[in-house]
Amino acid sequence: MIRDITIGQFYPVDSLIHRLDARVKLTITFIFIITLFMVNSFVGYFFVIAALGATIKTSKVPLKFMLKGIKSIMIIILFTAFINLFMTRGEQVIWQWGVLSLTLEGIILATKMCIRLVLLIVGSSILTLTTTPIQLTDGIEYMLRPFKKVGVPAHEIAMMMTIALRFIPTLLDETDKIMKAQQARGADFDTGSLMQKAKSLIPILVPLFISAFRRAEELAMAMEARCYHGDENRTRMNRMRMQKRDYHALAMGVVYILIIFGLRYAARVLPFMI
Amino acid sequence: MKMVKAEGLTYEYIKMLETDHGTEEEKVAALKSVNLEIEKGEFVVVLGHNGSGKSTFAKHINALLEPTDGTLWVKGMDTKNGELIWDIRQTAGMVFQNPDNQLVATVVEEDIAFGPENMGIEPEEIRRRVDDALATVRMQKYATHTPSKLSGGQKQRIAIAGVLAMKPDCIVLDEPTAMLDPVGRKEVLETIERLNKEEGITIILITHYMDEAVRGDRVYVIDDGEVVMEGKPKEIFSQVERLQQYGLDVPQVTEVAHLLRKEGIDLPADILTVEEMVGALCQLKLTN
Repeated sequence: MIRDITIGQFYPVDSLIHRLDARVKLTITFIFIITLFMVNSFVGYFFVIAALGATIKTSKVPLKFMLKGIKSIMIIILFTAFINLFMTRGEQVIWQWGVLSLTLEGIILATKMCIRLVLLIVGSSILTLTTTPIQLTDGIEYMLRPFKKVGVPAHEIAMMMTIALRFIPTLLDETDKIMKAQQARGADFDTGSLMQKAKSLIPILVPLFISAFRRAEELAMAMEARCYHGDENRTRMNRMRMQKRDYHALAMGVVYILIIFGLRYAARVLPFMI
Repeated sequence: MKMVKAEGLTYEYIKMLETDHGTEEEKVAALKSVNLEIEKGEFVVVLGHNGSGKSTFAKHINALLEPTDGTLWVKGMDTKNGELIWDIRQTAGMVFQNPDNQLVATVVEEDIAFGPENMGIEPEEIRRRVDDALATVRMQKYATHTPSKLSGGQKQRIAIAGVLAMKPDCIVLDEPTAMLDPVGRKEVLETIERLNKEEGITIILITHYMDEAVRGDRVYVIDDGEVVMEGKPKEIFSQVERLQQYGLDVPQVTEVAHLLRKEGIDLPADILTVEEMVGALCQLKLTN
């Protein structure tokens, strides 16, 4: 059962978004997240939703998958909504009880915050759903490269991510094996108080950690045997090359920024846009 | 030039012992003045039971360990010379026991490319080598799969391909089949034999399985850090009692033949495979 957990939520279909360079997707996602906090009107959000909708449609990933991520942060969304609804001070008070007051401004603010959070999750899940973990790591390594001069270990970070991804299924298998071995000898992981459950995990974690260290040592030796000596003089088999479509996507990103700023300005001078 | 040559190769390490008076240091010699020579293109098997020092020897060939005393040359390169370390590792590739702990990447072809990438080879050339290596171990179909979904034997073949992509002259395999099921063992052994026969790669197979040792051109038996026997498989395995004294089992048929000979039945001493046994028994029946 533990094996069913999938790591990285890559959705394997062939689409224009899937084929885009990981660096382009990272950049655009970054732009998207930053600009999301500059949108200040419902017209603006309407535009963002439309752009996001078009992207999702192009990516061929079912909307259901996109919305999956929201479930896990539902509590945060509800909490944010609650705080904004009742804690915002405003002139048009609709209902009041002690410190809690419901104002028109509060309702507007709460709605905006919720939309913002949902868009944030959906927007960033497009990146992880359409990019394989390995492309993502390569993209991150490439984009961190300029920061090497100030001491950011770009290659090491990417290598660590790759190895972590490689070993997650292996260690999950191992956990499963250890749990079964303990259960066969009468261990009980499912009943008892939270404290007892936490305690019953110790006999799993200890052997798991020991074996992880042993694996790490063996892997280090195997990597050395294959001439690994860090980033120096290292080449890559798959070179990242920008295609025409990647430049088009970046251009669209720039247009997107311009429209967001335009709408922001418009919302300031035209009060009816809220 | 010899592919691998060892002269007085000795390796000592310090072991901490817990005693009543606190911890004590004890010098343990894992290898004691080992001398051996391996020719280019040979298939050499190094036999020994657990803790005999055979793995320690394997790690010396790849310059993962440095000898305390004596010298080991790989294609004329002294493993103590730090400047030659990458050349040595490229010349003598190494495959380890646990397939899970030697694969680096999440995609098969990326993993095979790992070695050549470290050597700084041009991308186009890496691509070619990866495709060739995959074809040699007959795993082309799995190029874009993830290693964690493969069987043990398949993973071990990927590990071999990863070494092959570095174009080594010699491959050292440290108990490559110890963690595999019979099917996986067969796959790996067939791959190793093919590499030796078709590609002319020198093979040094470290193992404690006798039936694997039979496939070699020459066998070295290591016991307690010393080379105690050396010769062709047939010469080695005919000395059943001596092998058992070193904690090794001879192939089942060889033992049966040995016992039959003791009972006064006239069988050759060097029977290693079931086929040979069948042949010898039929011969015996005909002459009687």
